[in-house]
Amino acid sequence: MMLQNFTLKGRRRRAARALIAAMVPRWPDFERELTDEVLDAIETLMRQMPLHNQIAISGILLALEYGSGPATLDGVRPLSSLDLDAAVERLERIGDHPIAPVRMMPMLLGTLISFSAYSRRDVEDFLELPRRRWRADRRRLRERLVTIDAGRPTPRTPTPLGGDPLVTPDDYLQFDDERAQAAATNAAG
Amino acid sequence: MTRMTYGSDAIIEPHHTRGDVFLTCDVVVVGSGAGGSTVAATLAEAGHDVVVLEEGGHYRTEDYTANIPEMLGSIMRDGGATVTLGRSPVPYLEAKCVGGTTVVNGGMCWRTPEKILDEWAERGLTDLSAKALDPHFTEVEETINARHQDPGSEGAGNDRFYAGATALGWKLSKNRRNQKHCVGSNDCVTGCPSGAKQSTLYSWLPRFFAAGGRVHTHMRVEKVLLRGGKAVGVRGTLLDPYRTRKFVVRAKAVVIACGAVQTPLLLQRNKLGRESGHVGDHFTIHPNVKVAALFDEPVDLLRGAHQAWQCTEFIDEGILLAPGAIPLGFMSAVFPTFGARLAEKLRRDHRYIATGGVLVDDYAEGHIRTLPFGIPLVRYDVTDVDQQKFVKAAAKLAELYFAAGAREVYTAFHHHGVLRGPDDIRRMYDHPPRVEDTEYFTAHLMGTCRMSARKGEGVVDPTGQMWDVPGVYLADASVMPGTIGVNPQVTIMALARLIAERISDRLGQRGEARVVGRSAA
Repeated sequence: MMLQNFTLKGRRRRAARALIAAMVPRWPDFERELTDEVLDAIETLMRQMPLHNQIAISGILLALEYGSGPATLDGVRPLSSLDLDAAVERLERIGDHPIAPVRMMPMLLGTLISFSAYSRRDVEDFLELPRRRWRADRRRLRERLVTIDAGRPTPRTPTPLGGDPLVTPDDYLQFDDERAQAAATNAAG
Repeated sequence: MTRMTYGSDAIIEPHHTRGDVFLTCDVVVVGSGAGGSTVAATLAEAGHDVVVLEEGGHYRTEDYTANIPEMLGSIMRDGGATVTLGRSPVPYLEAKCVGGTTVVNGGMCWRTPEKILDEWAERGLTDLSAKALDPHFTEVEETINARHQDPGSEGAGNDRFYAGATALGWKLSKNRRNQKHCVGSNDCVTGCPSGAKQSTLYSWLPRFFAAGGRVHTHMRVEKVLLRGGKAVGVRGTLLDPYRTRKFVVRAKAVVIACGAVQTPLLLQRNKLGRESGHVGDHFTIHPNVKVAALFDEPVDLLRGAHQAWQCTEFIDEGILLAPGAIPLGFMSAVFPTFGARLAEKLRRDHRYIATGGVLVDDYAEGHIRTLPFGIPLVRYDVTDVDQQKFVKAAAKLAELYFAAGAREVYTAFHHHGVLRGPDDIRRMYDHPPRVEDTEYFTAHLMGTCRMSARKGEGVVDPTGQMWDVPGVYLADASVMPGTIGVNPQVTIMALARLIAERISDRLGQRGEARVVGRSAA
């Protein structure tokens, strides 16, 4: 059973927001604040989880909210009442806690937060990682390779199919425009 | 774009039907992954009327986006939040979509090692000998295109791994992967974006559809129907977002192929197989831990195949070393830090990081139970014996990466997060990390309803039929008699073919086999 209209409310939402704010990527020259958008993505993902997982994650959020201070001997102030630097510091101490289950609580949620933040287009663009362009480029290359294959017999497994005559092993992993540019340079040279 | 070659009525989604659904067929197959699709295609080609029921939806290549949470929510079970409980929680990969976990795996294709098959044969399972399974392995490999990579598509992550193993003189195996022109998109885990991976969507299911079979999506099977102690069908809920609907499928045989976790859960909820005393037991997971390495020259994991090699130097000790390229979103979870610190690390280093992992042939056995309200309990404790292997395996992979020129190696051990050279490796041996201080992962779940030659030792007989329930067959990783030490999809498919032949023999041939076609791409 799952609650498809699941939302984080009240203290759990404040705890989630504080956790996400501490964990999303931040660079001095990256101006976007990702906290709310990542929170939305996590909430959407949680709607696909069964009820017992939704309850478990809610429990972890409350444990971090109220328990992270005492567990790190950092007082009793809830996580969401700390400023960003203090929250980061507390979570880092939790992440280094001697008791493994305590240590794992922020890291389990941190994994979901990282998945969400680092697969965003704006973050990838900022890191100059053209993953979406690569995927589209690769799809086009494969379509062309499959088209070429249609006119010749398929070798038995495990023989590789190869990219010939479209690409050589040396330029197989190049973007189309890189390959074209290299070809033009060679022709000119 | 690769398209599946089947008619528009081959995959039936909730909006194609109205009201409750009642079906009759020869064989109903629950699950469309490695086992279910193979059984279904084999039986349909033998002339039987087969219906496949899949709990998840149907997602085509063009539906696989670059957004990881979106994909976790759509094609993974429980939004990807599937974890075993124990001394250290182990996240595991389990898909819920047409094609099952073959849609999200890394595509490695290994036959079951002969020494494992010999062990199974010694336990009386003579049908599982290497010789008996050889034709099934061959058919599977041809169907799913178990090939080496296109030359040049491997990428620098695989090249570094190769260079390290070669420098040390360690044995390497070139991976076969179920792919046609894997062009190095390196996005296997959320669905191959180019259509190169020959998941069952592009291999067994087109054969199944060509033989007249059909798949119903969003069908959650809840009850196995029995008459006189024999299975006569299944019933459950059609997961229509607009209204509650039910379905009933009447059949001469029921094949359950929901995977090593869901199959025992379904049996337990139906109180089936309890006499055997083995349902949900003997759970092995072939766990792995990640290792990453930082190089001075760019690795650019963006470009290249997920895994083109495996190092088999330590295979006799139950240890496999492998590269495992992953996209940035997953790479971010490799480092035990977050926020601005992780952001700075990835900004500086992401192009220079290679990722890999070590797999250990596990000695431990976990179990799967159904708690009140149907809540699943998936329990697995990594043992200290296995942990010793993990420490050695991670140390060996670190050695390999250093031999390839790595500056730093990152492990999944809490107190040994960064290794900077042989001294750090020695320190890891001197102060071995505990199970509790290790982050594991797995995608190789097996053995929870194992096959046995004698009643009382397993859940299914050598034909795949449950010892206690005539007419119910299991055909997925749950029937494996033990852990196999390699990636399991080819083994699952070969066993599924064997089981399908036995079912067909029992049901009797139905005239001429139907015309069989294979997918064009």
